[in-house]
Amino acid sequence: MGTVTLGGVLRRGALAGVAAGVAASLVAFFVVEPVIERALAVEEARAAGEPAAEELVGRATQVVGGMVAALAVAICLALVLAVVFAQVRHRLPGRTDFGRATLLAFLGFVSFALVPALKYPADPPAVGNPDTVGARTAQYLSLIAAAAAISWLAVLVRQVLVARGHSTPLAATAGVLTGVAGYAAIMLIWPAASGDIPADVPAQLIWDFRVASLAELAAMWATMGATLGLLLTPRPPKAAPRTAEATTAA
Amino acid sequence: MPSHVPAQAADPAVAPIRVPLLAWLLAVVALVVSYLLLQENGLVTTGAVAEYLHEFTHDGRHALGVPCH
Repeated sequence: MGTVTLGGVLRRGALAGVAAGVAASLVAFFVVEPVIERALAVEEARAAGEPAAEELVGRATQVVGGMVAALAVAICLALVLAVVFAQVRHRLPGRTDFGRATLLAFLGFVSFALVPALKYPADPPAVGNPDTVGARTAQYLSLIAAAAAISWLAVLVRQVLVARGHSTPLAATAGVLTGVAGYAAIMLIWPAASGDIPADVPAQLIWDFRVASLAELAAMWATMGATLGLLLTPRPPKAAPRTAEATTAA
Repeated sequence: MPSHVPAQAADPAVAPIRVPLLAWLLAVVALVVSYLLLQENGLVTTGAVAEYLHEFTHDGRHALGVPCH
């Protein structure tokens, strides 16, 4: 395996971000948007009889905007993933950079998407009280910070146990248990979700939206991790001279 | 490969990569941009541009599970 430089990781991270953004925006268009349309129908039924409010941004623009936002956020998160990967690569388990990159992206998905989605699940437009948005944002962001800290602790526990000579399975199990117990603890400690769901929004619609939202986030993180991992994987040498070179280099 | 060998000794190719402060600044900028795109509800920016950005990314923030009004 050749040397991996910070610049190389960042370039691959940016590419992984583009791939993840495209994957997420495709899921947004085909899976999330149909559910948003159903939610907007509820909102329209609510406003029936009232004079129509003038919209700042049209629906078609919002659909495009949602996809652009997914792409931009995926690129930003992939750059963060790349910097963190460069910093902690030697602490992560796994024999290959593919294994290490996908594990780190999985931890990113758990910390930035899964734990917040379980504690404060996504709601479609037409749901959400403007008065509580500040408090909900603070709870959501602080939960993400805490979940990221738990993920870091889980990696550290495994690494310390391995360094002390414990077996790999024991160290891995301890790391996983640290993560699961830690995520559970912070979800118990953090305040409950606001419960601002109006009575006229069907439960099925809320459920469908939450599954669709999680699908978009999963597509984003899975594509990000797999792409970064694949781009970090060295190509097997083909020509004989290159094989000799690789052997002497190793 | 024996499993009791410490991880770092097992794979000498995995040397730490030096990550300068500048790289972390890049990561922070990326997080701030994400925040502006997804979270901003008038805390940092105000006015017509902020409102437009909010409405433009509205579907996106709901889809990505971010709290919104």
